[in-house]
Amino acid sequence: MKWTLAIAIFAATIVLVIISWFQSGAIERRRISSADTPDEAVRLLLSRVKSHNWDAAYAQLANSSYVDKDNFIHTFSGDDGSLRTYASLENYDVWPLHSNGRLATVRTKLHYSTAVGPLDDVRDIQVEHEGDAWKVLWSTAALPKLAPQVIPVNYLRWDVINRGAADDWGVQNVDSPRVRIVSMNAVQRPDRIVIVGEIVNEDTVPAYVDVNATLLHADGSAITQENSFDKISHILLPKQVSPYRVDFPGYRLTQIKSVRMDAKSMLVPASADPVIEVTGQKLQKDALGKMVLSGDLVNESGAIVNIPHVLASYYDSNGKVIWVSDGYVDQALLPQTPVSFAVDLPDDIASQAHTYHVVVNSFVNQAS
Amino acid sequence: MDTSFFRRPIPLTASILVALAIHGPLLMMELPLKTSYDANFHVFFASHYAQHWFNPWNEKWFAGFSQTTYPPLGHQWVAMFSYILGLPLACMLVYLIAILLLVVGVYRLSRLWVSERASSYAAFLTAFLGTITFLVYSAGQLSTVLSAPLYLLALPYFYDWSRSADGRALLKGVVLTLVAAAVHHVTLIFGSFMFALPVLWLACIDREEESSIGKVIGRGIVFAILAGIGVAVVLAPYWISLIKHPIEQVPIPHASRSNFLLNIDYAINYFFIPYGALLLAMPFVVWIGAASRRLRPLMLGFWVAFLFSLGGTTPVPKWLLGRAFEILTFERFTLLAALLALPIVGVLAEMLLDRYKAAAAVGLSAAAVATMAFAMGWITWSPYRPDSSLDVNPVINFMDRDGHDKYRYLTLGFGNSIPKISTYSHANSVDGEYNSARLLPEFTHYGTAQLTSAKFFGTAGMESLRAMLEHANKYGLKFIFVHDPYYIPLLNFAGWRQVEIFDSGQITVWAKDDVPPAHPIPSDAKPTALEGILWGTLPFGFSLLAILLAIFMRDRADASRNLVEFPAITQEPVFIPEAR
Repeated sequence: MKWTLAIAIFAATIVLVIISWFQSGAIERRRISSADTPDEAVRLLLSRVKSHNWDAAYAQLANSSYVDKDNFIHTFSGDDGSLRTYASLENYDVWPLHSNGRLATVRTKLHYSTAVGPLDDVRDIQVEHEGDAWKVLWSTAALPKLAPQVIPVNYLRWDVINRGAADDWGVQNVDSPRVRIVSMNAVQRPDRIVIVGEIVNEDTVPAYVDVNATLLHADGSAITQENSFDKISHILLPKQVSPYRVDFPGYRLTQIKSVRMDAKSMLVPASADPVIEVTGQKLQKDALGKMVLSGDLVNESGAIVNIPHVLASYYDSNGKVIWVSDGYVDQALLPQTPVSFAVDLPDDIASQAHTYHVVVNSFVNQAS
Repeated sequence: MDTSFFRRPIPLTASILVALAIHGPLLMMELPLKTSYDANFHVFFASHYAQHWFNPWNEKWFAGFSQTTYPPLGHQWVAMFSYILGLPLACMLVYLIAILLLVVGVYRLSRLWVSERASSYAAFLTAFLGTITFLVYSAGQLSTVLSAPLYLLALPYFYDWSRSADGRALLKGVVLTLVAAAVHHVTLIFGSFMFALPVLWLACIDREEESSIGKVIGRGIVFAILAGIGVAVVLAPYWISLIKHPIEQVPIPHASRSNFLLNIDYAINYFFIPYGALLLAMPFVVWIGAASRRLRPLMLGFWVAFLFSLGGTTPVPKWLLGRAFEILTFERFTLLAALLALPIVGVLAEMLLDRYKAAAAVGLSAAAVATMAFAMGWITWSPYRPDSSLDVNPVINFMDRDGHDKYRYLTLGFGNSIPKISTYSHANSVDGEYNSARLLPEFTHYGTAQLTSAKFFGTAGMESLRAMLEHANKYGLKFIFVHDPYYIPLLNFAGWRQVEIFDSGQITVWAKDDVPPAHPIPSDAKPTALEGILWGTLPFGFSLLAILLAIFMRDRADASRNLVEFPAITQEPVFIPEAR
């Protein structure tokens, strides 16, 4: 009995550990590590990128002698304080597009977790059969090198003098800048009500603005309140217009009687810098067949813009705002260097969109 | 009689003094407050009881939460001692009491199974357990460490009652069980299966001649029913709270649920460090346990606890616990497994000392010291060590001046410093460090723990943070303290502006202008006044009763148990005098 029980316990423990080992995907990992198929090769590369095992990931490139290792790493980890530097690869989907036995193309959708929310990146990766396994043919775009030049700084800037150092921000004995909501449109989407519109700073001083929307019952009582959060330009220069968007997940228009809009404003210091030009805007379908508004951003200033945020408003033929969409760009804007962007919009909205307007918010890391 | 130094039991007093000598200075240095994850959390809970003994509704976290979601007794004793010692030292004193009680508890549990000499070795080794060092100085688990010995102390009474219908044992056993539950119910629930069932099995084996197995089990059931009723009453506000708000939030990842074979750091943290040299003894624990009819239940209890302590390395916890697997953390089971192994380790030590004498003594001592030394070293070497160097006083001072405490605040990148701020500031936060009490949808809809560490939970964490910031106006969340620049872009785009800098930029303060002052958030989780009185009275009252019973109702069994200590000729080793 004593032998039997002791041996049974040892054996049972080992069996249980093995079961769990299988359940935790060890076999799958082992299979992927063999890189027997194009998508396994890509999965292996991405799993190593995910765990920041850069050496192993780089070693898996078929053309590593032509790829600069730092460039390869920066593709995933970012540089110049861009959004990628605030991102980590969380998950990925991989599916093969085509293969001729020697070369293959695999499409990947990389899901990043970033400091401003989730970010997806679709990328087609070439894979080459080499020996017994597949290896990734990596292509990195050469970074443009700008000639040394002087960019004059002549933008407008507004400073605000507080009463004293002990004053809290927001405690001001001055009138709030005049701001006005110039349009508002409640749109029913399958899973939510979306309030879209535009707000203008009618004053001669810059304003911090925020838009709150409250859904109301027929008796005027509030159902719920939300605000524009990051779907607005919070700092508006004099006469500047910003689109805004407020989402009410889980609500339907049939549940509400009206919407109360509330625009808050406050005098703040601001500057017109950085100036970002938007070029080549067009509505088109992306690689996944989704409708997007794409274009290029060009930083006209001399300093790096670390994180650009694109805010696009779409108008119907009557000039009414019918949708607002936004997106963060994961590359930093170097001076004078175009960076492409693309923001989604639903297909049914795209068919009604007559014109569109893009504004760009920016985050400039003072420490960088 | 053999008077060899190596054949004599170690007096219990000496083991207690050794434990005191080892852990006393470490606790006087308030080490858990600096190196552990949870010690400050326990101080925070205690600080609330110190100020509002009969009101378990705490406004400082999650825009208000009920402390009836966590058994109160450990915190109440810290609160009580804090009136004399202050909160930090009071907490350390309770840790110390827990460790000393563990030594006594292991001795008393061991005496059910093995000889006095083996029991004394088990008690002596307790102070060196890696799991105690890990749980106290690294995890900071006050409740598990305090509840376990109380439960160990109750078990011999459970045994006496089940075996010989001793009414005094029933009374003392049930009271101690209630006290253990009032410290930590989870330890009691799992202890019932891992400790009580083996003890009941032993009571059946050791039953008196005129008694039957049925009677023994019947008495065990009576004990369980009385304890169950008692726990239901003593922790009534807890059960009410649990029924009203069952834990339905999205599971939050925890490394102790991982498969340790796939991550060496997790394996070190949750397996090698807590067990230490005990791992070398484990094959013998199973071997010796399987060889003896009396030790078999204990060994099986140890095995189950050991499997649980492996988290996701075996499928057993998931099979047995179902969804609860995603709620529990499993590092505590290393303590339960070690406590169950110790009596048999005592036997092993006895055998080794008999055979190798001084060499065995040196080897055992070295193994014990090395186990504790590595566990202490791991506090520094661990990649998961908390950052305690952050000075949170500027945050406390800021929130407590100029009416800033009219608003709620949030910290980002502060790790486990939240409780330190909450303990000493009057202001309220929307964040907090206790996952089970969270009812705000901004938390429960996402698989994330504290917002201050949102980035470590990936998209789920950042989405939870976004949801909270989107509702800043609703919660009066005006001020955000940032210790990690990772979060600054989001604040920038969401309309917060930097208003102050502390410690040369170590901490920046961000504010949003249009946020109205905070108002109480209505919640049906708020305990009634009666629940508050019960919560403030029953757990602490029963702990006082347990102390009174220990002082005024001495154990009759002690004397007889200590008398017999000479070997008899038997087929298998003799582990308890009465059973010969």
